[in-house]
Amino acid sequence: MSRDHIIFIVFLFIFATINIYLFGSGNLSADWTGFGTFIAAGITLSLYSFLYKDNPLFKFAENLYVGVAAAYTLNQIWYTVLLADVVNPLSELEENLSNLWLIVPTLLGLFMLTQLSSAKFSWLSRIAFAFVVGLGAGLAIPRTIAANVLAQLEPTMQPIAATWVGLDLFIILVGVVTVLVYFFYSVEHTGPVGVASKIGIWFLMISFGASFGYTIMARLSLLIGRVGFLLEDWLVLPLPLF
Amino acid sequence: MKEFLLNIDRRIIFIFVALGVIIPALTSFNLPINPTPNVQSIYDTIEEVGKENGTVLISFDYGPGSMPEVQPMALSVLRHCFKRNVKVVGMCLWPQGVGLAQQAFDTTSKELDAEYGSDYVFLGFKTGFQSVVVSMGHDFHGTFPQDLPGNNTTELPVTKNIKGLADFDYVLCLAAGNTPDGIWIPFGQERYKFKFGLGCTAVMAPDQFPYLQSGQMNGMMGGLAGAAEYETLVQASGTATEGMRPQSVVHLIIIFFIILGNVMYFLYGRPKGGTQ
Repeated sequence: MSRDHIIFIVFLFIFATINIYLFGSGNLSADWTGFGTFIAAGITLSLYSFLYKDNPLFKFAENLYVGVAAAYTLNQIWYTVLLADVVNPLSELEENLSNLWLIVPTLLGLFMLTQLSSAKFSWLSRIAFAFVVGLGAGLAIPRTIAANVLAQLEPTMQPIAATWVGLDLFIILVGVVTVLVYFFYSVEHTGPVGVASKIGIWFLMISFGASFGYTIMARLSLLIGRVGFLLEDWLVLPLPLF
Repeated sequence: MKEFLLNIDRRIIFIFVALGVIIPALTSFNLPINPTPNVQSIYDTIEEVGKENGTVLISFDYGPGSMPEVQPMALSVLRHCFKRNVKVVGMCLWPQGVGLAQQAFDTTSKELDAEYGSDYVFLGFKTGFQSVVVSMGHDFHGTFPQDLPGNNTTELPVTKNIKGLADFDYVLCLAAGNTPDGIWIPFGQERYKFKFGLGCTAVMAPDQFPYLQSGQMNGMMGGLAGAAEYETLVQASGTATEGMRPQSVVHLIIIFFIILGNVMYFLYGRPKGGTQ
């Protein structure tokens, strides 16, 4: 028996013993809430077991998560979209004939599914995709340019004054210009262009560092959330202990 | 020793991080939390909306994967709104947000005796992302004819006078994905010119700062720290405030390992056989 097998068995034994104690002592209630906490604790520990190395418990928990998330999403879409906006209005056509127009988007949606069928019908999906691409491009292009380009240019071009705000604006202006120079490949990066390009790299590095720092903070927050769950909800410890 | 420090097993770092989270979670020392102007701005806006007895739209665009960061924001903002008699309309552009939003509404409405229909309404999830926001902009009741329990939005006191997005006094997006900069700002705020605020995961925060500078959003809560700052402002300490203790300790541990790694690198160069 390998070391990994022994660790796996010991982990299962400790987990089972703790849960028998928790249920036996009444710290976990013998109902669906208690059972849910027990399952959640097991899945949390299984997922974090990947930090040691890949193992069957991790694979099980990972695949279970994907399945549950897909089923939950399907459930939400069925009840709040398909049933509420398509099935129910179409089944009440006799009372409200104005809902008849819903047949058009419904048919387009069904055409999408023909992609999964044989070549005889799959060409119908192109009509639906053409509609989605056309609508998406028509909506997105002007709005994205307005919000992400034009609206962002305005604060970059404010007059610079000898104040702290003015200094901020100056740094932003230098950052925008030098990073654009760095990504301008039609001119060789030597002389003044090379200097500007190097300054641009520094701005990019600082930006990557800030993103990395925030990412660490985010991942730690998730770990803190799970540790809090394990200590308070599963082990029912009266925090803080000291 | 030199080889060991040049090539520390990542599992040793994991043990330090785990201890850095568990030990502070078991203790009760407190660190000062000072609200930043970006978080204060959201708080002040809700205070102003409360004075006018106005309505706030909150979009719960996150899932269980980001619950520890964003759910404390949802709870704090809802508590603040209900305390100040601000009417709240909730919705989701992410299907996974429905259960979490419902949980937040249930918890805070019980605490502060907020009544469904007259104090808050939950619309649930609607698929379509940008189409939903564009459609809500000019025809709110057409986009959401019914709320999640099936009541007509034209009859509920909170929603009956809302014609479009511009009728909301404030729109707050609680997000873990691209809905603020990909959906709400380009298709909503930029077009209908409503006041917009954001509560987001820390991963997203750096990408959102340009929108603060341009004035497209007036405030931002970023990650657990942003949530803790809002909890401080509403004087209701919760999981975010509690989480700042382990967060700060682990940050110090990570800074220590980064400095150690760099010192070893500059003293002895790259380890033989690469890093683990």
